[in-house]
Amino acid sequence: MKILIADDDFTVRTMLQAVLKKWGYELVSAADGHEAWDALQQTDAPQLAILDWMMPGMTGPEICRKLRAQERTGPLYLILLTSKDERENIIEGLEAGADDYVAKPYDIGELKARVQVGRRILKLQHKLKKREKLQGVLEMAGAVCHEINQPLQVVSGWAEMLLMDIAESDPNYATFKNIKANVDRIGELTRKIMQISKYKVRDYMGGKSKIIDIDKSTSKFEE
Amino acid sequence: MTEKKILVVDDEKQIRDIFEKAFSGAGYTVQTVESAEEALEIMKKTPFSVLFLDLNLPGMNGIELCRQISKNWPMAISHAVTGYASLFEIHDCREAGFEDYFTKPVNLSDLLAAAEHAFKKLERWKKR
Repeated sequence: MKILIADDDFTVRTMLQAVLKKWGYELVSAADGHEAWDALQQTDAPQLAILDWMMPGMTGPEICRKLRAQERTGPLYLILLTSKDERENIIEGLEAGADDYVAKPYDIGELKARVQVGRRILKLQHKLKKREKLQGVLEMAGAVCHEINQPLQVVSGWAEMLLMDIAESDPNYATFKNIKANVDRIGELTRKIMQISKYKVRDYMGGKSKIIDIDKSTSKFEE
Repeated sequence: MTEKKILVVDDEKQIRDIFEKAFSGAGYTVQTVESAEEALEIMKKTPFSVLFLDLNLPGMNGIELCRQISKNWPMAISHAVTGYASLFEIHDCREAGFEDYFTKPVNLSDLLAAAEHAFKKLERWKKR
């Protein structure tokens, strides 16, 4: 996972880089607020940022505020580095949009743990986004199936009427039988697709979190 | 022989046409309407005993229609025919008073069998 470190103090930056690299994270560094902002505007920007509070250019809380006001494509976890004096401003920082803070001088164990929390939250947000996307697809699939079922009913009905009207010996009988059989196949498909959408409906109706069921039913369909 | 009348409610003309053809071909007298509201107007004038209702109707939906029919004409036998299976659950339909539940595309032979069964039942109830 890529992490942004933004601090104007060279020593702090170097030490943070060292420990985070040791823990296996990929790093992007910024020496002031503007550099930090630019780094987070890139297409492959880090999803977790450790921002010093006081920086030339833009302060940590200012960056947080601006980031949260942006329409972003992916989740962002923001940790503010605060010094002893600024602890009173913790509330300001969190309200500005930071997810957490680490007080300087920071305890390495604590920093590691808080970064891991951020990682866990980001993972959850990604999972949620994926699920929302999937639900959107399923809803659309359900709506499309309904539209398809109408003309399908008409075609199936007429094929069935034709089969009732002509004798089995009729040269066209086999053709009409074939038409009906294939239309029925499509009907089975739309029914199957709507079954999957149905699991989603049961979720809300039952009030239970049957997220596992959705995954199970969609993987069944993907086969 | 008493005339056997069927009321079909569906907002799509082509569905009304094919169902009308199928039922009249089997000897039934068929009337088709495109909304629940129209269906209720018809029922107030000449109550039908056997009905086939689409559920996804403009205005009042088929389930609400069935509820009202069950309340005011309890002898009527209604069948749900829907293209949107996930939206209308079977047990909601049964609760509303539907005799049976079909999903589109449905075999006409299944609908004809349901109609035959319904009229046989009505005969039996009359003779009780």
